[in-house]
Amino acid sequence: MPRKPTRHRRLLPVQPLTFSPFARSVARVATAYLLNHHIRDATQQSAGVELNEKLKKVDRQSESSEDEAFDGVVQADFAFFDPKPDDFHGVKTLLQTYLDNKQWDLSGFIDLILGQTTVGTVVKLEGDEDNGVFSVITALNLGRYKDHKCITELKEFLLNVCQDKDKIGNLRALLGDKSLNVGLLVSQRVVNLPPELLPHLYDALFDEVSWATEDEPTEELRNSFHFKFYILVSKIYEHKNANQKRSSSADKDEAIIYIKPEDEIFRKLSIWSFLFPLQIQQVTTHELKNYQLTGIVMAVKAENISSFRQQLRTLINES
Amino acid sequence: MATRLMFENSCEVGVFSKLTNAYCLVAIGGSESFYSTFEAELADVIPVVKTSIAGTRIIGRLCAGNKNGLILPHTTTDQELQHLRNTLPDQVVVQRVDERLSALGNCIACNDHVALTHTDLDRETEELIADVLGVEVFRQTIAGNILVGSYCAFSNRGGLVHPHTSIEDLDELSTLLQVPLVAGTVNRGSEVIAAGMTVNDWTAFCGADTTATELSVIESVFKLRDAQPTAIVDEMRKSLIDSYV
Repeated sequence: MPRKPTRHRRLLPVQPLTFSPFARSVARVATAYLLNHHIRDATQQSAGVELNEKLKKVDRQSESSEDEAFDGVVQADFAFFDPKPDDFHGVKTLLQTYLDNKQWDLSGFIDLILGQTTVGTVVKLEGDEDNGVFSVITALNLGRYKDHKCITELKEFLLNVCQDKDKIGNLRALLGDKSLNVGLLVSQRVVNLPPELLPHLYDALFDEVSWATEDEPTEELRNSFHFKFYILVSKIYEHKNANQKRSSSADKDEAIIYIKPEDEIFRKLSIWSFLFPLQIQQVTTHELKNYQLTGIVMAVKAENISSFRQQLRTLINES
Repeated sequence: MATRLMFENSCEVGVFSKLTNAYCLVAIGGSESFYSTFEAELADVIPVVKTSIAGTRIIGRLCAGNKNGLILPHTTTDQELQHLRNTLPDQVVVQRVDERLSALGNCIACNDHVALTHTDLDRETEELIADVLGVEVFRQTIAGNILVGSYCAFSNRGGLVHPHTSIEDLDELSTLLQVPLVAGTVNRGSEVIAAGMTVNDWTAFCGADTTATELSVIESVFKLRDAQPTAIVDEMRKSLIDSYV
């Protein structure tokens, strides 16, 4: 793999002069930097007021506590970066169980994600020497990468694991003829990542997708980001009691627990979805002893994404 | 020859296996292909034994051994100890040791003549290592890390250490161990050498992420290829062109 020059996000003041993709990226980073900067200074002028207040509360708590006593409050500045080859091990750790326990070309898959620097974001700490990756999000065009071994194995896995006879036809179509318009939305993060980051993370991704449709150098690449559908592979907790699953929608909250809050919104907006059993060993806590970790595959129409972004923002701001 | 393989989607093969000149231990629960890769390379020469230690699969990091003996942590169950005593060759002394630092594979790195150990190891454990493994024991650090068993892997013919080891440290260690050493990485830049690979005098097993360059460095420092009296550059060129999995 040719080594791309590492692009470190240097913090620059906001200067939205031109409409070039570089300037847009800079403007986005600068906005993120300003957000952090304001929060650090504990002023009230930043854009995300609620976000600001929550983190100010965190600031006050950590200031009032003793230096020696660790009361569980940690100050962290998260920053969004383009995927870089250095992020390989961090992203690999996050995506280790992406396809259950199937032995597949995960390294090749990670290379695809890291090679696509125009669309995709990696969340890391500002100025962290360990280069720890906290979250990764990207959208891969299934048609563009269809010749890669990892994508063939992924398609094979999804088709094998789909036990729903109605949905398998739809799945086959999306993975086959329509694959040039289908984006695989990969989003994975550490369990305790602050949910305030989610709207920004998804905004960043979908904005990058729309910018890529204009900014990519070749026509083919530009078209490859005109997604009509997104496919998501994720995990949820399903109540072990099968009767509960078939009960009315009023009980739906207890029937399924969504590990990632955005999965619930995606599922509501999806054109179809199906569940599949997982084979990896599961660690169950006391609260989740009635629940079974299950895989879920969903397909969402690209036109519903703006509604998704709005619903996600509302969901996070309420919680 | 060095072989690339994976254990259940993990490239850390040195965690799930232990290879010496007299036997090979392999973790249970992995796919049959993991076990059969070892069998294919080693079956005619040394026994390949499936086992767990303390009920876990991380056997490579919990035990330390060479052709003379095998040292197990106090958490090893009696059945496991008996199983190992039965299946390993008679000349291999299997001993369980009462040591606070129970991840012996992370604390001890050894070949058939010399062992490097964690600086805080008990005196009794050190004597036991010298007895059971028949080695000379040195308390050392590698690039400032006390877990010597994790950050280096060496055989009787060569050794690979943490990439940030200084030249002076390399020279000092090389004199102690009496083998050529090289600072390098395994599994595409991973610094935890012993977790990513396992080696003996004629073969090595590395994680599937190991690049061709890393593999060629491993093959040359451990002298795994048929010796060619050519410069290192030629050897590198050959393995860079050769895309072998």
